[in-house]
Amino acid sequence: MSFKIGKKSGNITVIDCPQRLDVNISYDLKNIMTQLIEEKKFKIIINLTGTKYVDSSGLGAIVSRIAVTRSNKGDVRLVTKTKSILDLLDLTRLNKILECYDDVQTALESF
Amino acid sequence: MSKNKFSAKKFHYLEPDYSRPVLELDKKLEERIRDKLKFLYGDESADKLYDELFRLLKVYYAHKTSEMIEWEKDFDEKNRFTEKDVILITYGDLISGKNQKPLVTLEILCKTYLKGVFNTLHILPFFPYSSDRGFAVMDFEEVDPHLGSWDDILNLRGDFRLMFDGVFNHVSSKSSWFQEFLNQNPYYQNFFTVFSTKEKISPDHLKLIVRPRTSDVLTEFRTLNGTRLVWTTFSPDQIDLNFKNPEVLLKMVEILLTYVRRGADIIRLDAVTYLWEELGTSCVHLDQSHVSIKLFRDVLDAVAPHVALITETNVPHKENIRYFGNGHDEAQMVYNFALPPLVLYTFQTGNSRKLTEWAASLERISDTATYFNFLDSHDGIGVMAVKNILTPEEIEIMALRIVEHGGFISYKAEGDGNEVPYELNITWYSALNRDDSDESRELKIKRYLASRSIALVVMGVPGIYFHGLLGSKNDADAVLEEGHTRSINRKTIRKKELLAEMDNKNSNIYQVASGLIRLIHYRIREKCFHPDAPQTILSLSDKVFSVLRTSTEGQEIIMAIINITNDRESLSIDLRMHGLKGQQWIDVLTKKTYKANGDNLELNLDPYDILWLKEKSH
Repeated sequence: MSFKIGKKSGNITVIDCPQRLDVNISYDLKNIMTQLIEEKKFKIIINLTGTKYVDSSGLGAIVSRIAVTRSNKGDVRLVTKTKSILDLLDLTRLNKILECYDDVQTALESF
Repeated sequence: MSKNKFSAKKFHYLEPDYSRPVLELDKKLEERIRDKLKFLYGDESADKLYDELFRLLKVYYAHKTSEMIEWEKDFDEKNRFTEKDVILITYGDLISGKNQKPLVTLEILCKTYLKGVFNTLHILPFFPYSSDRGFAVMDFEEVDPHLGSWDDILNLRGDFRLMFDGVFNHVSSKSSWFQEFLNQNPYYQNFFTVFSTKEKISPDHLKLIVRPRTSDVLTEFRTLNGTRLVWTTFSPDQIDLNFKNPEVLLKMVEILLTYVRRGADIIRLDAVTYLWEELGTSCVHLDQSHVSIKLFRDVLDAVAPHVALITETNVPHKENIRYFGNGHDEAQMVYNFALPPLVLYTFQTGNSRKLTEWAASLERISDTATYFNFLDSHDGIGVMAVKNILTPEEIEIMALRIVEHGGFISYKAEGDGNEVPYELNITWYSALNRDDSDESRELKIKRYLASRSIALVVMGVPGIYFHGLLGSKNDADAVLEEGHTRSINRKTIRKKELLAEMDNKNSNIYQVASGLIRLIHYRIREKCFHPDAPQTILSLSDKVFSVLRTSTEGQEIIMAIINITNDRESLSIDLRMHGLKGQQWIDVLTKKTYKANGDNLELNLDPYDILWLKEKSH
């Protein structure tokens, strides 16, 4: 598994993603999120700082638990400054529902 | 419809025949048309416009063969729609065959697999277009040569009734009409709503305009005489036609009648909410738009009464059903836009209360008008219709669940600058089922069919999108490739691959399609599912949706019960309370008999079970 999971302040979990978030590993991200939900960890930051490429399945994995986190007073938030990823979020209008931050610290403070 | 068989090719001459007596119009109808023209364009213009409109009617009439005139004498508008009506919604090129025109491929597949299942085909816009998968029409009167020809359309008419799109709200920026406007041809100067500067619309007026998109309502174009700003409700490529110009209305009447000549039985008025623009108003469903639709209805009543209008208006439910007019003077069918999001919400939450309450409030429209009950179409699942039925929070969480299932949300701009969900882009199968869940396929398909059965049993005519028939999953890659969230359910399927799936009894497509076709086969046999058969919604439990349908002559009763949850549900139905007497009930789907114990009928339903119980005594 090429994701790093770190528990930061309080009950917020940060998932560091690899360089490519695509069909080969998106299922792993979904599993990590499912596991976190089962553990009642509903505040999740997906750190895409080191990620250069996201495909449709990667995008699907990012939002795969968005409703359940919000229903439990949590959220899934993103960290990225990569233009291609921001463009992808814009094209799919997922930028309307996903809060996006420049760095992990700001994302942590947003909760 | 009519006792005699319709033979499309015998119904219109290619050229008008003026050797016969010309059309004479009923005085009352003439008066109705004149009144509408007066309302729209004023007393002074109305007489002249009437003369021109009447000329168009006479020209059309001269194309009708004597066979058609005879056939129409038997036409019974009360049985225009019956239980046998099920509409398949498809693009002309949704299936691609090697070295074959897509309309020919469609014809072969429909005639081979779907004859006797669906009786009507809604072929989405098949005209030359520049964007929005057909809804930016370049030429209203030609068939896109990539798809086929008018002859191919007429060949389909032999075995199916046809629904055409009247994309009358707007035209492609690449159309000759708009190009002539850019060339400043005087005839076309008033065909569009044009401003010289943005300041011509005050901020107060701008705020009032209700928008279905987030794009600017005005788009800048360079013309021969300088820059102009043109009204574009949907996109910069879709230029709104200016119906305040009577020439536009007359042109559209001419096109409407061309479609009738080409074999249309139903004409879908696309985006008709936005037909008429008037600064200082919301510019949606204005009285002028309603009167224009009623005028189209008068035109059809006058010369082609067998052709019906259906309006497509993704707006709150109460405003949506206003397009029925008084039940006899506007659309004969209205897209039942609240049904898809409410069925979706029901299955998402495992609670039928909202759907039950809403369905119980549905009123019969008239003996000649009814609802078009669809769950999916080429567009997304519209959510505007449930704006006053579900809370904003309920809509938001429903939308987020769609995103979890791999779908997307499309937004519209509110007057205050906020953006709100307008439709959910996802296939119906994926909306109901998570691709990554560990549920069995059998359960997923059962859930899917349970959801579809609701649209097959409630009052109205059901419609199913081709991808819905196949149980297609999301095509997320297409969204990224094409840059449109609606591409998620518009995948073109190769004929060879489709046939292989249809022949493989273990494939998802086979399982879904055969399950759905089986339900349709049973529906079309039952008089209780006539669109005008009275319905009573039963509140048996929050875990089931249930409706009682009684045939129009009152002889037959079907109680449809659908378990909308993943749980077993036991019901004890007090028959007397619902005015029922039958002691034995047969499930028309399985032929299993259920016996009542006195006034009680005890039922045990497995997850997503569907029961269509018919009183045995009848």
